[in-house]
Order: sequence, then C-alpha cells, then structure tokens
Amino acid sequence: MLAIRFDLDTVGDFLFDPIILEALRETLYIALLAMVLGIALGVILAVMRVSRNPLVSGMAGLYVWFWRATPVVLQLLLMYFGLRQLIENDFFRDNWTRWRAAVITFGLNEAAYMAEIARAGILSVESGQMDAAKSLGMTNLQAMRRVILPQALRVIVPPTGNEFVAMLKNTSVAFAIGVVELLNAAKIQAARNFRVMELYTVAAFWYLVVVSAFSVLQAELERRLAVGERERPETLLSRAMAVLGGRRGI
Amino acid sequence: MSMRYLRFFIFPAFLLVAAAFIYAACDGDDGVPAFICSPPETGTAVEGVPELGDGVLQVGSDIAYPPLEFIIEGTETADGVDVDIARCLAEELGVSVEFLNTGFDGIEAALNTEEFDIVMSAMTITPERSAQIDFVPYLSVGVGILVEAGNPDGIQEVEDLCGLTVAVQLGTIQQDQLEDLNAGACADSNVNIVTFDTNPLAVEDLRTGGSDANFSDLPVAFLDAQQSGGELELVEPAPNPQPYGIGLRKASDALQASLEEAFQAIRDGGQYDDILARWELEFTALP
Repeated sequence: MLAIRFDLDTVGDFLFDPIILEALRETLYIALLAMVLGIALGVILAVMRVSRNPLVSGMAGLYVWFWRATPVVLQLLLMYFGLRQLIENDFFRDNWTRWRAAVITFGLNEAAYMAEIARAGILSVESGQMDAAKSLGMTNLQAMRRVILPQALRVIVPPTGNEFVAMLKNTSVAFAIGVVELLNAAKIQAARNFRVMELYTVAAFWYLVVVSAFSVLQAELERRLAVGERERPETLLSRAMAVLGGRRGI
Repeated sequence: MSMRYLRFFIFPAFLLVAAAFIYAACDGDDGVPAFICSPPETGTAVEGVPELGDGVLQVGSDIAYPPLEFIIEGTETADGVDVDIARCLAEELGVSVEFLNTGFDGIEAALNTEEFDIVMSAMTITPERSAQIDFVPYLSVGVGILVEAGNPDGIQEVEDLCGLTVAVQLGTIQQDQLEDLNAGACADSNVNIVTFDTNPLAVEDLRTGGSDANFSDLPVAFLDAQQSGGELELVEPAPNPQPYGIGLRKASDALQASLEEAFQAIRDGGQYDDILARWELEFTALP
C-alpha cells in the first residue's frame, strides 16, 4: 500500500504553530494596509475621473488602465526586482523591502479597482444633488465630501468588502518576491515534511476563519449604512442582538 | 508534398543533426577522443600489488553518466572525466586500463566479488558505502554558494551564512540544509531563508541585493556565476563538498597505496588540471 495517510495530528500540530500564526498576521497586515492605501487612492482617482478637466480625468484613466491590464504577479516582480535593479542606491534598496513592495503594489493595484467602484458610487448619486449643494454655496470639493460621497458609500461598501476578501487571498502571490504569508508558510513547511495536504488544510482553515469573521463585520456595516431605506437588512449580529436583548434601533 | 510524408524526412534530418553533434563532441581527428593520457596497450605487472599482477587495471563503471562517464555513440570507447582520470592513473602505474560496464546498483558487491579491481563511477563517498568498500577521493562536488562579486560578506563555508539572508528554491536539499543549520550551528543567529518557486528568481533576488547569497547545486551555481557577466561569483572552494571516490576492496591496501601515489603524481604533473579543464569542471578539483 503506497497511499499516504492524511494525518489529522499534523493538522492539529500546525494549526497554532507560531510560524503559521506569524504568517497569518503577515497576511492580515499586508491585506489591511494595502486596502487602506487602495481605498484612499481609489477615491481620489474616482473624483479625478469624473472631473470635467480632460487632463485630470485622462491621467486617472491611464492609471486605471495600466494597473488593471497587467497581472498582479507581474506588477510585484516589476515593483520589487525591477525597481531594485533600476535604482542601485543603497538607501533605496535598504528601504524598499519585500514587505513594503508587496503592500504598496497591492495598494496601487487595488486603487485601480477601487477607482471604478467609487466612480460607480459617485455616478449613482443624482446630479441634482450636486446642483443643490452648489446652490447652497458649497464648492465642488465641499459638495463632493459632504453630500455626494456619503451617499455614494452605500453603493461603494458592498463591492469593497468583496475586494478585501479577494485581497486577503491574493496576498499569496507575494511569494513571487519571497514574502512569507499564510499559504507560503504552509508550502515551506510542507516542502520539508512532505505533509502537503495537511498543511494546505491548515492554511484553508485560517482563510475560512478570517473571511467568515470579516463577512459578519461587513454585513453589520452595510446594515448601518442603510439609513433611510425601507427594509434594513438583517445580519447575524442584529439577529443575535435581537435574541439577547430585544430589538434596538441602531 | 503532403504532410504525411514529412516524417520520412524529419527522422533522417534528426539523425543527421545528432551525428553532427556527436562528431563535434569527439573533438578530435577521425573521432578519436582528446584523451589527456595514453596508457600502454600492454602493461607490465606492478610488483607487490596482486590486483595489477596481470598488468591491467580493471575499472568497473556504470558508463552512462555524462560528463563523468559515457560511451561515445557508434563506438565501444568510453570517455568522460572518470575515464580520463583512470587512464592517467594507469599510465602513471605503467599498466593498461580496461573498463567494464556494470550497473550502478550493486556495483560495490561486484567489486567485492573481484569482477574488477576498482570502481570509478561518479560515486559519492558516504558512510554507508564506506562500511563496504574503501575510497580514494578524487573529485569534489556538492552544493554551491553564489554571492555578489567580491564576496562582500566573506563567506567561506556554510556556517558563514548564519545571520545572513539566503535565497533558495523551495523544496530543494539546500532549503533542508539551511533549516538544519538554523536548528544547529545557526541556532543563535538564524539564517533568514527566503524561498522562491524557481532558482532563477532566487538568483535574481541575490542580484538585486535582496539577499546575501544563493544556495543551490554546484554545477547550477557555477553556470549562474558564469552567465552573470561578472556580477556574481561562486564561493570557492565549494563548501560541504561531497567527494567522489575511487572504490577499492577493503583488502586492497597495496593497490590503494599505489593509486594514492599515482593520483598525487597526476596532480603534481598537471594532468589532473588538464582533465578538469577539458571538461570545464575546474571547480570540482579537490582542495
């Protein structure tokens, strides 16, 4: 019999192994920071894209075109190896670490997608709102910040949650430049002890845990944003609250 | 011409190209290999060495492992690094040399049942083999450490990697060796192991200064250094070398002594270096 037994004990041994947990932390860090960068830059790009100035909207369009049209692995390789090769400066090389290159590349990549999502959000707000804000004496930017964007959030948040979940999983391609995140830590251990299925199971477990926890939070966030809608969606948390302490209007 | 007749031409064309390559590989006039040494056709008995009482050094080898040993296609002539070295040893001893093609599996047992006098078959000296037969080391192969030109960290041996960042391909014995180092010699100052899907990416990481060294097989590292245009260099001598050895029966003390003497003579006489130069394997020279 040559069949290799699936060893549940190995899964148990590695589930809370410090190396795996450290790698999980790395995954979360990279995804969170990149997402923050992506959202911030993405909103700016979206505002630029709806601008009437062709130079401003053109620049934003060019940015989105480049970062959406190339695979993220390639972007990582170019951003890390390529830039290090181009800039043979010790200060740059010391500071342009794998980790930073990963966070910034994922962030810049995400910004392109977020720009499209945010643009759709902005366009979903009736144009009359802008006119109304302006008639009250607001400038373009003020109107954008105080009137348009808050309403656009309702459209922006659900796909953004999706983007974050995708980002969490996509961090695994950072292996190309030697970043050890969750899946790669599992691969490295498996290469040593040949318990491939066991270690992939460990990685899968943690991805499921993290994404599930995030989904609960996201549903709650969407519920809170649904101000003024006829039916606010029920979420796991709101149901739990209802069971525990009676319905409260939040 | 219909496509289906094309195959009648492809195969002969392929043969022609192969023949041209083989002809080029013979690198000598009328297909005679450029052997470094010419032992006598008829040897004379070596006194005090029973194995060489007949004037013939019989070599057992699995002759299918280029460039160490292989049969020149279309002939029955053996060529390769091991063949060259055996020929030079025979010349030094004044005996003729004969190669006996033997499967590598069980080659120690064949030696011990006196089917031939010695084994020269790219055999790495290991404790397990040393329990069965004796060895005279003659080549040094193993892992290769690739560093930036000038070796800025002064790496000489594997232990020097402690505390440094080393790029390595995932799943290789080198990854294993580094992890073992971290559990042992480098326990206080761990090697920062950076793994990549392919070795070229690991080399790229070294080239762009992301890591201090690249750790791979010696011939691979050798080739990478060669192709880097002077940017990278191989740490020489290669650390943790695993020497190839000439295998002898445990009882062949006199033969071992005369082979060691002859080996020293071809090292001093320059034939050893000539052989390695012929096969472009200078980096596998014994230290």
